[in-house]
Amino acid sequence: MDTAMEKKLTRSDLMKAFWRYIFLNQLGWNYERMQSVGYCASILPILRKTRPDPEEFKEAFITNLNFFNTNPVVGFPLILGAHAALEEAGASLETTEGLKVGLMGPLAGVGDTIVWALYNSIIMSIGSVMALSGNVMGPILVILLVLIPYFAVRYWQFFWAYNQGSNLIAQLGSGMISRVTELATIVGLIVIGGFAPSIVKMSTSWEWARDVEVRGEMTTQVVNIQAQLDAILPFMLPLLITWLAYWLLKRNWSPIQVILLLTAVGFIGGALGILG
Amino acid sequence: MLTALLLALWAYLCIYDILGPVFFLGFRPLIAGFGAGLIVGDVQTGMLIGGTLELMALGVYTYGGATIPDFTVGAILGTFFGKEGGFEVGISLAIPAALLLTQVDILQRFLNFFFVHRADAYAEAGDEKGFMRMMVWTSHLIWGLSRAIPVFLAVAYGQPAVVAVSNFFENNPWFNQGISVAGGILPALGFAMLLKILPVSTYPAFLLIGFVLFAYLKMPLVGIAIAGVAIGLVYQQLKYRGQEA
Repeated sequence: MDTAMEKKLTRSDLMKAFWRYIFLNQLGWNYERMQSVGYCASILPILRKTRPDPEEFKEAFITNLNFFNTNPVVGFPLILGAHAALEEAGASLETTEGLKVGLMGPLAGVGDTIVWALYNSIIMSIGSVMALSGNVMGPILVILLVLIPYFAVRYWQFFWAYNQGSNLIAQLGSGMISRVTELATIVGLIVIGGFAPSIVKMSTSWEWARDVEVRGEMTTQVVNIQAQLDAILPFMLPLLITWLAYWLLKRNWSPIQVILLLTAVGFIGGALGILG
Repeated sequence: MLTALLLALWAYLCIYDILGPVFFLGFRPLIAGFGAGLIVGDVQTGMLIGGTLELMALGVYTYGGATIPDFTVGAILGTFFGKEGGFEVGISLAIPAALLLTQVDILQRFLNFFFVHRADAYAEAGDEKGFMRMMVWTSHLIWGLSRAIPVFLAVAYGQPAVVAVSNFFENNPWFNQGISVAGGILPALGFAMLLKILPVSTYPAFLLIGFVLFAYLKMPLVGIAIAGVAIGLVYQQLKYRGQEA
């Protein structure tokens, strides 16, 4: 089947879909169908070519406005490329919708973990630390580390998925996605283990004075609470507050509620001179 | 007035960037603040405000489309007000601005229903041209204006508020102290959000390794990241030994 397959799509059709994806992917994002309009706009140049019959084109147009949501950097271009290959091979709308629905969830998980949570957190914390010391290379470095690798990864994904075509599903099913996600998860956890205490700042300036009798003489002994805590476990307070925030999120507190609580704790503690 | 327009335009661009091109991650506070610093002619303040907010918001992203505080607008306004009133004034206006704007974000995500229903109508008519006209010219308006208008209004008419806030700061040093301690604690949220999307209970050991590298071995962050990749690779090599790659 592959050898007999007729090439209906030219490189310019594919590039047109790719550029529409780049400039429009999440436009019109809404709660009802999320990225559906951006996805539809990107696949239309392909559908025009593969479905010359106006009625068939219209049907595909309507179908591709269904709910769609995935990571816009890792995931979206891969699905788009694979979809283009399936369209060229004459796949039915059920098949292509199945591809979209089947891949958008897992790829959103991979993309959000690798791109947002891991890669961005690393470059952003390095860039921010540089910026805070007054070095303009901080934000410039971040922009370069976004501009070039992001674009390369998106371009590569789109054409790789297109060339893999129907083999893609088998490839992804072979455990590749779960291997990559596992590696990203491990790196993410190690990095967070080190980043969290280095960036969350919380210490107490509290001192506890007590009068004690030493060999019959009364003296005042001052106990520095922070020094005691450090002796037990360094960065104890940052770890505790991060764990508290995590625990609350797990109990379905919203991020906004957690922010309000953390702000209140910090503000009251700082204003009273207990923390900081 | 020109500054207000330019900053509003910058806010629009920063939000558009994450809706499509993702060329410079303009919606992140570090970048938004840096750009605002260039516009107001005070890059140092832009980097201070942006960098501080960035560390607070590290790992805070709209996973699955959830609304988060709008640190983009926060960084832009914080930079503008921080230029005149100083860093503390800027940062203490940036955080409430970011929180207030979350309501606007939820509202505008609702209003975007309009586009998907217009799209249905174009699809029924098989009208690709009309649909693309909407996508290119109008589909970003609600999203962009929901940031640009508040920025414009705050910059054009917010001056008296800044004077009041900076006077208040001078008379109440404890308030300052409270804000700076809260700023140090807030990054805990970003890490908590990251932990929530990662399977912590399956791999607790890796968190501990990262902590030991930093807290006891004093390893810099890039070193921890490289060590993380190495440990992950070794783990997978051992785990999948005997299986094909």
